[in-house]
Amino acid sequence: MSTYLIFKDIDEPGLHKLETYRARGGYKNLEKVLAMPPEALVNDLKESGLRGRGGAGFSMGMKASFIPQGQMDKYLVCNADESEPGTFKDRELMQKSPHMLIEGMIMAAHAAGANRSFIFIRGEYEQQADILDAAIAEAYEAGLLGNNIAGTNFSLEMVVHRGAGAYICGEETGLLDALEGKRGNPRLKPPFPANQGLYQGPTLINNVETLATIPHIVEMGAQEYAKLGVEKSSGTKLISISGNVKRPGNYEIELGISSREIIYGLAGGPPDGETVKLWFPGGSSSPVLTEADLDLPYDFTSLADAGSMLGSGAIIVVDSSNSVVDVCLWLAEFYRHESCGKCTPCREGTNWTVKMLERIQNGLATPMDLDIMASIQEQIIGNCLCVLGDAMAMPVGSMIAKFRPEFEAHIEQARAQNPYAGEDDAPELAVLQGAVV
Amino acid sequence: MPRPEVKTISFTIDGREVQAPENMMLVDAAKLGDVEIPVFCYEPKLGAPVGACRMCLVEIEGIPKLQTGCSTPVKDGMVVNTQNERVQQAQEAIVEFLLINHPLDCPVCDKGGECPLQDISFGWGNGRSRFVEPKRHFEKPLALSPLIAIDRERCILCYRCVRFSQEVSEDYQLIFTERGAHTFVGTFDGHPYVAPFSGNIIELCPVGALTSQAYRFRARPWDIEQSGSVCTLCPGQCNVSYTVRDERVQRVLARQNDGVDDGWLCDKGRFAYQSIHVDERITKPMVRDGDELRETTWERALEEATNIFKRSKGSIGALAGRDSTNEDGYMIAALMRDALDSNNMDARARDASTMAETAARLDPALQASVTDIEYAHTVLLLGVEPVDEAPIIDLRIRKGVRRNRVNLIVATARPSSLDANAKLVARFAPGEEAHFVNSLIGGDSEVLAALKDGGEDVVIVYGERLLADPQGTAALLALADELGLRDRDGAGLLGIPAFTNTRGLTEVSFHPFHGDGLNTAQMRDAGLDALWLHGVDPLTELPDGAAWDKALGAAAVVAHARFLTDGVRAHAKVVFPLEAGAEKEGTVTHFDGRLQRVRSSIKHPDEVKPGWWVFSEIGKRLGHEFGVFASPMVSAEIFGRLPYYEGITLDTIGGTGVRWTEREQAASWPKGEVQAPQATTAMPAANGKLRLGTYRSVWAAPEVNASPALRFLTPDTKVELSPVDAERLKLVHGQRALVNGTEAKVVLRDAVPEGSAFIESNAVSDGLAEVKPA
Amino acid sequence: MSPDANKLSPYRVPKRWEGSRVPGWDDPVDLTKEPAPIPDPATTTVPAELRAEIEALITKYPDSRSASIPALKAAQKHHGWLPPEAIEQVACVMRLTPAYLIAVASFYDMLDLHSGSYTRSRVYVCTNITCSLRGGRELLKSLEGELGDLADIELRGFECLGACDIAPMASVDGVYVGPIEGDDVATLATQIRQGDEPLPDKQLLKRRSADPGANSAEVAS
Ligand SMILES: Cc1cc2nc3c(=O)[nH]c(=O)nc-3n(C[C@H](O)[C@H](O)[C@H](O)COP(=O)(O)O)c2cc1C
Ligand code: SF4
Ligand code: FES
Repeated sequence: MSTYLIFKDIDEPGLHKLETYRARGGYKNLEKVLAMPPEALVNDLKESGLRGRGGAGFSMGMKASFIPQGQMDKYLVCNADESEPGTFKDRELMQKSPHMLIEGMIMAAHAAGANRSFIFIRGEYEQQADILDAAIAEAYEAGLLGNNIAGTNFSLEMVVHRGAGAYICGEETGLLDALEGKRGNPRLKPPFPANQGLYQGPTLINNVETLATIPHIVEMGAQEYAKLGVEKSSGTKLISISGNVKRPGNYEIELGISSREIIYGLAGGPPDGETVKLWFPGGSSSPVLTEADLDLPYDFTSLADAGSMLGSGAIIVVDSSNSVVDVCLWLAEFYRHESCGKCTPCREGTNWTVKMLERIQNGLATPMDLDIMASIQEQIIGNCLCVLGDAMAMPVGSMIAKFRPEFEAHIEQARAQNPYAGEDDAPELAVLQGAVV
Repeated sequence: MPRPEVKTISFTIDGREVQAPENMMLVDAAKLGDVEIPVFCYEPKLGAPVGACRMCLVEIEGIPKLQTGCSTPVKDGMVVNTQNERVQQAQEAIVEFLLINHPLDCPVCDKGGECPLQDISFGWGNGRSRFVEPKRHFEKPLALSPLIAIDRERCILCYRCVRFSQEVSEDYQLIFTERGAHTFVGTFDGHPYVAPFSGNIIELCPVGALTSQAYRFRARPWDIEQSGSVCTLCPGQCNVSYTVRDERVQRVLARQNDGVDDGWLCDKGRFAYQSIHVDERITKPMVRDGDELRETTWERALEEATNIFKRSKGSIGALAGRDSTNEDGYMIAALMRDALDSNNMDARARDASTMAETAARLDPALQASVTDIEYAHTVLLLGVEPVDEAPIIDLRIRKGVRRNRVNLIVATARPSSLDANAKLVARFAPGEEAHFVNSLIGGDSEVLAALKDGGEDVVIVYGERLLADPQGTAALLALADELGLRDRDGAGLLGIPAFTNTRGLTEVSFHPFHGDGLNTAQMRDAGLDALWLHGVDPLTELPDGAAWDKALGAAAVVAHARFLTDGVRAHAKVVFPLEAGAEKEGTVTHFDGRLQRVRSSIKHPDEVKPGWWVFSEIGKRLGHEFGVFASPMVSAEIFGRLPYYEGITLDTIGGTGVRWTEREQAASWPKGEVQAPQATTAMPAANGKLRLGTYRSVWAAPEVNASPALRFLTPDTKVELSPVDAERLKLVHGQRALVNGTEAKVVLRDAVPEGSAFIESNAVSDGLAEVKPA
Repeated sequence: MSPDANKLSPYRVPKRWEGSRVPGWDDPVDLTKEPAPIPDPATTTVPAELRAEIEALITKYPDSRSASIPALKAAQKHHGWLPPEAIEQVACVMRLTPAYLIAVASFYDMLDLHSGSYTRSRVYVCTNITCSLRGGRELLKSLEGELGDLADIELRGFECLGACDIAPMASVDGVYVGPIEGDDVATLATQIRQGDEPLPDKQLLKRRSADPGANSAEVAS
C-alpha cells in the first residue's frame, strides 16, 4: 500500500479554504518551524533527500544551502509555470490545496532568509491563480503572511504573478526575467539564481510540488521521509499520466515502483487491443522509452541509467496505433514554437528539425535525411544557453535511434504517394512550409 | 566608486601558458596568447555578455559542458582548449546553424569583405551545408529610419543592435519582437528608429543586416582607405576614422578612445561627412557685390579683407567657432593683437568670465576627466544638456549610472533627457543657474546633502549658461571647494563649452581678457567697425540672433565659412572658403584637457586653402610675417611658446591625445584669483508671462542641414510648455504660437515646470516672454 | 494539392515569394512618423480605470517594470486586444517606451498585438502531443468549422495547456473543459456563440482526482 502525503485529503470539499486545511492539520507545525534556526531546517531538507520536482531533480536542501547568509534582499520564487507537455500535477495541487503550497513556501522562505516571495503561475491557469489569490488573501488575514508571521519576527510577502503563455518561462532564469517584466529569455549561468537572481538578489526557486512537500517532511520528520521511496529518490511523487491510457490523471506514488505498475496498474494501460509503442517517462523533454523498458523502477537513478530521465514526473504513453513520425513532428513543432530565439543552436536547430520532418511527411525526403536529422540533434545537445534545445534534441534523437525502420518505411511510403518527389515542381504545401521562416 | 584593481594570473590555452589579468573574459585573454576565439554577440562595449550566439564555445578542463569563452572570466591555472575535435565540432555546428537561413548574397552585400560572418564561416565553419530546405526570403532592404536600412534575412539575432538601444543609448526603441525563429528586430508600430546615436548599430552589426543608407553601395572594402582623425562638430571631439575613396569621405566610423568616446559616435558625427561633398559648400573666395556674394580670386578676396581690417584697426572683433583649431586661433590672435591693435576675440557663446576666472576654473587641480564620470560617486549635471551640447557625454553618464551606480543629480532649468537616470532632480527658472549654485553653498539643501553623502568623488559637469552670470564662476568654485574637489583624483569640474575647441582657443590665448578686449556679448553691442568670423555665424549659432543681425549689419564682416548660412549670406563682405574637418590639419583641445590631432584625410576641393596659408597671406598684407609653410610649424610654435604645453609634440599627441593637465608642466598654468561669490537673486516673478529659456538641439548645425541624409532632422522651431500654462494660454499641442513675436510649434511636456517655457531657437532671447496663439 | 505548372519548386523559391507570416517582418517603418519615446503624460490620455489598475499592479513589486505583463493583460482586457493606443497608454503609466512593451507582449502567446479587433472570447484548443493522441487536432478543426464565421472570437490551437488528463480539451476564457467528445463539440460551439458557460459538466475544476488510492477514509465525497 502506497503512502499518500499530498493527495491524502485532496478531494476534501473546501480544502482550498484555510479553515478546512487547518482542520486537516495544515499550518500545525508552522510556528515550530519558524522557531527553528534556518540552518536546521535546511539540514532537515538535505537529510530528507527531497529532490526538485520541476525537472532537474536537484537536491532541494542543497539548493537552499547555496543562498548566501547576511543582510540583503533575498527572494523565494515558486515555479508554477508547469508548461512541460504532459505535466499537470501542480495544477491539481494548487487548485485543490493552495494552502499546502503557501505553507511550504513560508517554510522555504524561512530556510532561505527571504522576505519576499512570488508564485509565477502560467497565464493559462487563470482559475488556479484566482484560487491562489484568494488563499493568499486568507493567509494574510490570518496573520500567516505579512509582518511577524504567527507572532514570530519572520515576515513574508507573497504575490501571485501570472505569466502570459511561454514555456520557456518555466526555465528558472527565463522565469526571473519574465518576473522582472521582460521577455522571458533565459540568462547566462553563472551567476546562478542562488547568488544573483530576481532583481540581482539571492533567489531560491523551486517547483510547486517541491515546496508543497516541505510541510509533510516537517510533519513526519526528515529521516522518516527519507525512508519513503528508494535510495537517491526518496519520498512520494505526483505522476501525471496521459496519452493512450484508460485512466489518465495524477497519481501519487512512492518513488521506485515499477513503471508498468504505473502505466498498467494505475492508469489502466493503453486501450484494449493496443500495446505501448513508446513512452516519455518525464515529460516531453525526456528521451523516449519503449515497451521493453516498462519494468524499469520509476525513480531518478533507474531512468537516468536507462538513458532517459524522471524530469517532471509526467508519463506520456503512445500506443501502437500512432505513427512515430507524427509524434516526432508534434514534439518538434512544440519546441520550435517555444524556443525563445536567444541562442543559435536551439532557434535554428528546432526550426530546421521541423522543416525536415515536414519534408518527410510530404514525401520529399530520403533515408539519408535521417542521418542529417540525427546529427542536427547532436549539434544542439550541450551547445545551447539553456536546456530547451536539448529538450527537443534528446527525445527526437531517441526516436530516430529507436524507431529508424519505421521512419524509413514512412519516408518510402510518403515518397511513393507524392507524385512530385524527385521532380522540380513540388506541391504547394511544401513551398509554403518551406518558405515560411 | 574606485576603479577596480587587477591582478595577473597565468592560464593554459591550447597547450600554451599565458599571463592575463584575472577575470578578463576568456576570449580577450586568449588574444594575449595569440589564440582567436570567434565571437558574434560578444562586444564588451555593450556591457555584460549575453552568451547568445554560442560561437565562442571552448572546453575548460574540469567542466563537463563546453563553456562560452565570452562569459567565462579567466582564473589562475585554468586549462582551456579551443582547437580540439570537440570544440571544432561545436564551432562548425554553430556556423552551419547560423548559415541555414542566411542568404548567400555576399556579392551584393555591403558588408562583403569586412564581414565577421564571412570571416568566421571561412575560419571556423566546415564549408558545407546540409540544409536543403528553402531559405527564407523576404522583402529587403527595408527602411529602419532615413539613415539605416535593415535586411532581415541577413540578421543572425546577435543582440548587438538591440542591446545598444536598450543598454547604451537607453532610448529603448529598437527591440526584438516575436519569439524563437520568428524573432526579428523592429520598432513600435512602424515608428522609425531615429535617435541621436542610432548609427552606431550599423557599425555593431556583424553581418550586412543593418546598413547605412548613405553608404550603401558606395564602395567595396578593397576600394577604400581608413584615415584616423577627430570629429570637430562638437566639443565631444570623438575620435573617428574616415572611410575615403577617391578623395571623398564615404563613411565615418568610430575609432575607440576610452578617454574620449568609448567607441561611439552620434549621428551628426557619423553622417554629416556628407556636407563635405555638396554643391552648397563654399569652395571659392567670395566678395560682396551689392546684394550678392560673387566668387572671386584669392588675391582679390585677401585684398578686400585686409583693407577692411586696416580701416577698422582698433575697432575690430574676432569670433571663432566650431571649426577653429588651436593653430587657427593662435594665428588669428597674433594678427589681432600685433597687427590690428585689438584684444576683442572670443570663442565662447555665453561664458562671460574674466581671464582670472577662466584660469581658476580650468585649473588642472580641479580638472576632471571624461572617464571620471564613469567612476565618480556622484555626478552633478549643472545647466547643461549633454545630448545636445556634447552628445557623447550623455552616453558616458548613462554608463556610469548603469554600470557603476553613480549617483546622478540633475540641476537644470529645462527638463533633461537624463532626468530618468537621476537620483535627484532640481529645477529652477531659466537663467537662474548661478543663483541655484550660490544658494547651495553652506546651506542644508537636499542637493548639497546628496552631493556630500554619496562619496567624495564628485564630478560637476556644467555648461556656459552658468558662466553667463557674473557670479557664475565664483559660485562654481565655491561649491567645488565646499565639496573638497581640488587636487582630488577622480573628482573635479568638467565644463562643456559652446564650441568644439573653445577650450583650446582659450589656452592659446584667443581670449578677450588676455588683454582688455571685449567678449562675445560685448562685441555684439559695441558697434564695432569690423567683425572677423572664423567658422561661426552668430546669427544662427549665438544667443540673441536679432541683436546679432543688427551688429553684423552695422559692421564690415569678413567670414571664413563653409556654407552661406543666414548671417554670412546677408552680411559678409568677404567670404573665405573654410576647410572641412576631414581636410584640416592641426590640434584641438578637449574640454577635459586632452590635446588631440585633427589630421587631413582628403585633399581640399578646388580653391579651398588651409588656415595657416590664409592667415599667413593676411599677415603678409598687414606686415606681420609668420614665416610658416605648414600647419605643424604652427603647432610646434604653440608647444614651444606655452609653458604648460612644454615638451608636447604632434608625435606624443599621436592617435589618442595627451591630457596636458595631467603632466608635470601643468603647474605652470596661470593661477587665477577669484573672490567669494556675491549674493545673487532669484529671477523676478513672471507676472502672467513665461520665463523663457532657449536651447539648441544637437541637430541645429549647418552641416546637418547640408547633409542630404541628415537634413530631415533639421529642427523646426518649437516651444515647450507645461500643460498647465498651455491650458491657461489656450494653446494645444501641435498648434502654432508666437513667442515674443517668433512663430513656434507648441509642444506640451509634462516635465516642464509651470511658469517656464523653452524655445528651440536663437532668434528670441532668454528672459520673460509672452506666448500667444499665432 | 493539384498539380500546377506555375507552382514553384521548394528548391527554387523566388525572391519575395510570399513573405513571412510573422506580422511586421516584411514591413519597413513609416518614415513620416516621429520616433516613439516614452509617451509624455501631457499628450497621452489614459482611461482612468486602466491607469488605476496599472498603478495598483505596480505597487505589488519592488521594481515597477515587473508589472508589465499584468499591465498589458489589463490593457488587453480593457481594449479587447492590444492596439498601439493600448500600448502607448500602458507605456505612459509605466514610464517605459512602447517598444519595450511590444518586445515583451510579442513574446507571450496570450497577449494579442495582431488580431486587429475586439475579441469577445478567447478559445484555446490544445494541439500538443497528448491531446493530439486523443483527437485534439480534429477537435480544433471541428470547432473552426462551427465558429469560423465569428470575427470576435479568437479560436486557436495552443501548446499543452496542462490538462492532458481531460484530453482533448479546450480553454474558454480560462475555463478548462474536456474531454470534448462527440456531441460536446456542437454544444460547446453553441455555448461559446451565445456566451454561455462552457460544458458545465465537463469543467476541470469539478473533477475528482484520478488516483483511487488518494483521499483518506474521512474525506467526504
Ligand atoms: C525549458 C524548461 C522548462 C521548464 N519548465 C518548468 C516548469 O514548468 N516548472 C518547473 O517547476 N520547472 C521547470 N523547469 C525546471 C526549472 O528550470 C528549475 O529547474 C526548477 O524550477 C527548479 O525547481 P525544483 O528544484 O523544485 O525542481 C524547466 C526547465 C527548462 C529548461
Ligand atoms: S536553448 Fe532555446 S530556449 Fe534556451 S536560450 Fe537557447 S533559444 Fe532560448
Ligand atoms: S560570443 Fe560568446 S555566445 Fe556569442
